[in-house]
Order: sequence, then C-alpha cells, then structure tokens
Amino acid sequence: MEEELLTISQAAEYLGVSLNTLRRWDESGKLIAIKKDGGTHRYYREKDLEIFASDMMKFASEWIKDGVEFPSRFYCPTSSIFNARLTKMEYELMQKPGFEKLYSLIVLIAGEIGDNSFAHNLGKWPDTAGIFFGYDLAKGVIVLADRGLGVLETLRQVRPQLPSHVVAVTVAFTEFISGRAPEKRGNGLKLVREVVTDQPIDLFYTSGDAEVRMKGSDKKFHVTRGQRIVRGCLAKIEF
Amino acid sequence: MKLQLEKFGKTLISRELGSEAFKAFQSTLRELSKDEELEIDFSGVLTLSPSWADEFLSPLFDLIGSRLVLLSSDNLSVHATLRILQEVNKRPFIYKQTS
Repeated sequence: MEEELLTISQAAEYLGVSLNTLRRWDESGKLIAIKKDGGTHRYYREKDLEIFASDMMKFASEWIKDGVEFPSRFYCPTSSIFNARLTKMEYELMQKPGFEKLYSLIVLIAGEIGDNSFAHNLGKWPDTAGIFFGYDLAKGVIVLADRGLGVLETLRQVRPQLPSHVVAVTVAFTEFISGRAPEKRGNGLKLVREVVTDQPIDLFYTSGDAEVRMKGSDKKFHVTRGQRIVRGCLAKIEF
Repeated sequence: MKLQLEKFGKTLISRELGSEAFKAFQSTLRELSKDEELEIDFSGVLTLSPSWADEFLSPLFDLIGSRLVLLSSDNLSVHATLRILQEVNKRPFIYKQTS
C-alpha cells in the first residue's frame, strides 16, 4: 500500500511554519520534500516531519544563534502561555511510571528556568519576546531557550563589576544576591543546582560563553567556558 | 485561619503570579486577628517554585512572623522550596504536624 503523503500546506500546518519556510528548507536541504514523478509539487511523509520536529536542541540553538524559524508548537510568546503548557506537561509527567513524586521537581526546574526568562527580560527583549519550550517525555528531555539579555547583562544591573559570563553564571547558580531588587534571579537557580545534584536529573545550561554540565553520577557543579557565545540562555534537562 | 494554597492554583511557578496572589490575599489577611495564627495548607498543590513562594510566603513571613504556621506536606517541590526560602530569609518556618 502506498504511504499517504502530506501536501506542503498540511506539512506547514503540522510544523507550524510558513509555506515559504518549507520551500526554503527544501532548497537548502534542511528538510527535503518529495516530488512525485518529476513534478514540482512538494510532499512530505508524516514520519519524516515527526523526526524532524523532534530535534529540539537544534531548533533552540539555531533560534538563539541566528534567529532561525522553528515549529510554532515550541514557542511561548508570553508567560501565561508558558504556564499553561507547563501545566500540561506536569499532568503528562505525573502519569509516567516512576515519576509519581519526582514530577514536581522536574516541573520546578523547568518552571524556574522558563520563568526567569520572562521575569528578567520583561520590557527589555532585544528582539523576539518569549521563549522556546519543547519536551519529549518518552525520551526524558526538556529544552528551554530565550533570545533575551542573558545572565551577565541581567546580573550586572546589581553587580556592575562582574567580569565574564562564567563568573556571572557561577554567581547566578551559587549565591544569594543580597538587596536583590530589581534582580531576583539568584534563589531559583540555586535550588535548581541543588535539586539536579541530588536527583536523577541532568542539566546543561549555557548563557554567553558560559556552560554548566551536570550529568551522570559525578555531578560536581562547575562552570566552563565554551567555544561559542550564546545569545540569551539555553537549557536542556534530561531525566 | 487556614489558607488552602491551592486556591491560587495547583501549579505555582511564576514570580509575577506569586506577587499577584500576595496582593489578592491582602483583603483576607486583614480579617486575621492580632493573636491568630495563619495556617498554610499545601495539599492539592502539585508544584511550588521558589520564585512564586518568594513573592508570597516571604513577605507574609515578614508581615506576621511566628504567626505563620506551615502544615506538613509530602510534595517534593514544596520541601525543596521551603528549604531554600529558609536559607534566603535566614530563619526557619514554624511547622505544625498534621495527624
């Protein structure tokens, strides 16, 4: 039996991108369309679209790096949309065997990181407001990203002397910022670090050229300097 | 007086909504008499984040001090959040054991 193909319009709706984006992705080889019998119309296999849309880290990092469009299902333009989607994820995660209690800590981590993006960029977004929020509970992955100011610029509002992204991210994850107003980023990320250290949850977090990798059995917290500068923040939570 | 925290929602995450909740609670708080305790009941809350709680419980603690009494909860996010808030506020909350 011949597999049923989706038209370009159906594929655009499936991924939540425009027709022109799909044409551009086809021409660049990013997502190649099927053409029947040498025709010019573009078709897509649903399975291919599903696989394409599952590469959340790629979408998130290309978006914060170059502003590349991504499937709209991952986009939360406002804090209230993020909260609604987080609640949906929470409900799904509660049903997952083995996560009946742990779910609340995973939601806490994702919620803190996502809410930070909104709280610290309100009225200050350099271009696109909102965040990338994608999850695949079967694989145990959550990806969050924003094109905001990043940790260094935000923390410099209260600590103007901060010398680098690495020091700023270290402060954000380890210190209580005294006299926090208007900056309140500290406490939530400190708890994120503690929870990740104690629980079977891995974290990758990057802002500027600072990277945090807490993975596996030896989860010592340290911040390293990465190869590239990331706009805003990008986080991957695995469990 | 007992406050069911879940009246503000089951998923208490954002700093903004924590601040809104604290403002909304002011009218009820005025009914609390001078010597009365305010018991916080976490049952029904699925996730409590430090950002939300820092906007609600921290100012409440500043306002009524030892009259703020927390009921015990077996929710992991409630535990973790209360632990970090005590560290931030540099004083322990008062707990009441439920039977």
